[in-house]
Amino acid sequence: MEAGRAIVRWLARLRTAGEITVSQLRHHKLRLGMAIVGIALAVLAMTLLAGVGMGVVETGEQQFETADRDLWVTAGETRITPVGGGGFENTLYDSRNVSAAISEHEGVRNAVPLAFETVYVGTGDGEFRTFVATGTTGGGSTVQVTDGELFPGDPHYADGTYEGDRTNEVVIDEETARQLGVDVGDTIHVGGSYAVARENEVTVVGISPTFERMLGTPTVVMPLSELHQATGTTHTEPATFITVTLEDDADPETVQQDLEETHPEYEIRTNQEQLDAVLQEQVLVLAAGVTLVILAVGAGIALTANLLALVVYQQRRAFAVLRAQGISATLLIASVVGQGIAIGTLGGALGVALSSPSAHLLDRLASAVVGFDGLVQLSPTILAGGFLIAVGIGTLSAALTGWRISRTPPLELL
Amino acid sequence: MAGPASANRASPPPVASATDVTKVFIRGSEPGRIGRLLGRSAPPTVTAVDDVSIEIETGEIVGLSGPSGSGKSTLLHLLAGLEVPTEGTVRFQGRDVASLSNRQRTRLRLEHVGIVFQHFHLLESLSARANVALPLVELGVGRRTRRQRAETLLERVGLGDRTGHRPGELSGGEQQRVAIARALVTDPTLVVADEPTGELDTDTGRRVLEEFERATDDRAIVLASHDEETLAISDRVVKLHDGRVVDDPRPDEKGVVDHRSGERTVAEFHE
Repeated sequence: MEAGRAIVRWLARLRTAGEITVSQLRHHKLRLGMAIVGIALAVLAMTLLAGVGMGVVETGEQQFETADRDLWVTAGETRITPVGGGGFENTLYDSRNVSAAISEHEGVRNAVPLAFETVYVGTGDGEFRTFVATGTTGGGSTVQVTDGELFPGDPHYADGTYEGDRTNEVVIDEETARQLGVDVGDTIHVGGSYAVARENEVTVVGISPTFERMLGTPTVVMPLSELHQATGTTHTEPATFITVTLEDDADPETVQQDLEETHPEYEIRTNQEQLDAVLQEQVLVLAAGVTLVILAVGAGIALTANLLALVVYQQRRAFAVLRAQGISATLLIASVVGQGIAIGTLGGALGVALSSPSAHLLDRLASAVVGFDGLVQLSPTILAGGFLIAVGIGTLSAALTGWRISRTPPLELL
Repeated sequence: MAGPASANRASPPPVASATDVTKVFIRGSEPGRIGRLLGRSAPPTVTAVDDVSIEIETGEIVGLSGPSGSGKSTLLHLLAGLEVPTEGTVRFQGRDVASLSNRQRTRLRLEHVGIVFQHFHLLESLSARANVALPLVELGVGRRTRRQRAETLLERVGLGDRTGHRPGELSGGEQQRVAIARALVTDPTLVVADEPTGELDTDTGRRVLEEFERATDDRAIVLASHDEETLAISDRVVKLHDGRVVDDPRPDEKGVVDHRSGERTVAEFHE
């Protein structure tokens, strides 16, 4: 009987707390609106920055996954982005012969060298700009062409004589095409120096996003032998790495171990190991990215907590009067917790709702400005995390502020 | 004009009493361990109430007068259980207020004390009716009874047609009458009012004072005010100066007012 009465009393308190919550929120519409917008922005900052972090990692993983290779061979250096001076460090020399030797290994279907070099590119008007050129022996599923076609392999190499027919064809990505103002069928000039570039006219035969995605920069793709010739490196035939595709029934780890024993001078890595190695080389960039994400989450939490604390603090006088009248702290805290939940939920929901269009906008902007696709990768986990932080931190900070106000002698607030 | 009601009773137990009460406020915070090491001295103190004794009995209206800083509000807050004395004893219906926990004092205020502030302090988002009924939630009063009681009280203070209005839609006088209704809704044994007419014009103030006069049935009312007209409704006016009582005209058993300090009589006030 007594317990029943207590329950009824508690329910009455909760209902009253709910009524106070609703009335306070409805009465102060501007404050409510500002708080919701503030929290939505905090959530947006969290989701977008976390999405950028995810985008960096996921794009990296996808780059290696879509390369459709099982193993990566390097000569120590794993860098696939231009170094400080603007050039690449291609330290895997004699890449043709090394590739051929690896191709002979049991379980290996093929081994293809890839080289990245900084080259001068112009449209024939006398002006040249630097781009990254990718040299590949061609073919296969490694280069995805979205418009036009891929050049027909690397006939100019001709078993190392460099006397075969030149294709004089290149594939570029959309950003390179935009920057140069060219399309499939147009001609451009490419070379490792101005002099070579002026003489070396090639035709754009296709559009491909593959290496632009891998390198994160506009790229010109051409046959490896023609790149080596254009950069004057046919005598050393350097490559950034050799990608290895295995037979369907081959075990990557076993082949990796065998290759490491046969070629101890090279690093043999799986897709994931190669990604890890590349990421380790870019530890500063990654650290900056992680710091940015942590700061974004921290700032989001701080902003949410401050906003809710402020909303509750602004009601301190009204609550002090009620405390003076004998209203219990429980009822007041229940009321502010209700406000925290309501504002956190509305702000969080708005922030989550705005995240996808904002991410899309950022992606388009990044794609247009720097040619980098998939900058922001939003996942349900990130969105749920942003929403939960808004509701959780909002409720917690409102409750803590309410508790502190209820602990303060009423007269100090009046 | 209300007469000295206590004179008509034998020896009723006081609703509230203060015995040799001193209240000292510290300005700023006490220095911590590091502060003391750095030679920070203790913050200055202010003695708001100094060795005051007073008794408030059922049925009487007691006025507290004195200049600003004389300790009227502090004494009012001590009697209402909003503050605890630094020295001396404040008793409420025989219970030592300082011996109660914070939660017990809150409960004591809820059940036995009604408070009216100068600035009304109503919850802006709630209607007049909801403002008045709010304390009853804590007492476990049913929804319908709460509503009924709030409407009855609002009608009694002349706001029967304004029950659904929010404070922002009411005049200052109307808001103060809502505050009085809220102070009376729990049927308290003591009502304290700090400058209840301070923000009101003369006519509105007079109407508010009439509410206080009507509310004395089985309770005591303590008013702190600068205003002589407000104090004129009191059965006795206790004068304070620099935290001390300088005049507390106690009626003896024959109803004759005894001026302890002999400065001014209640009659003189009322004249």
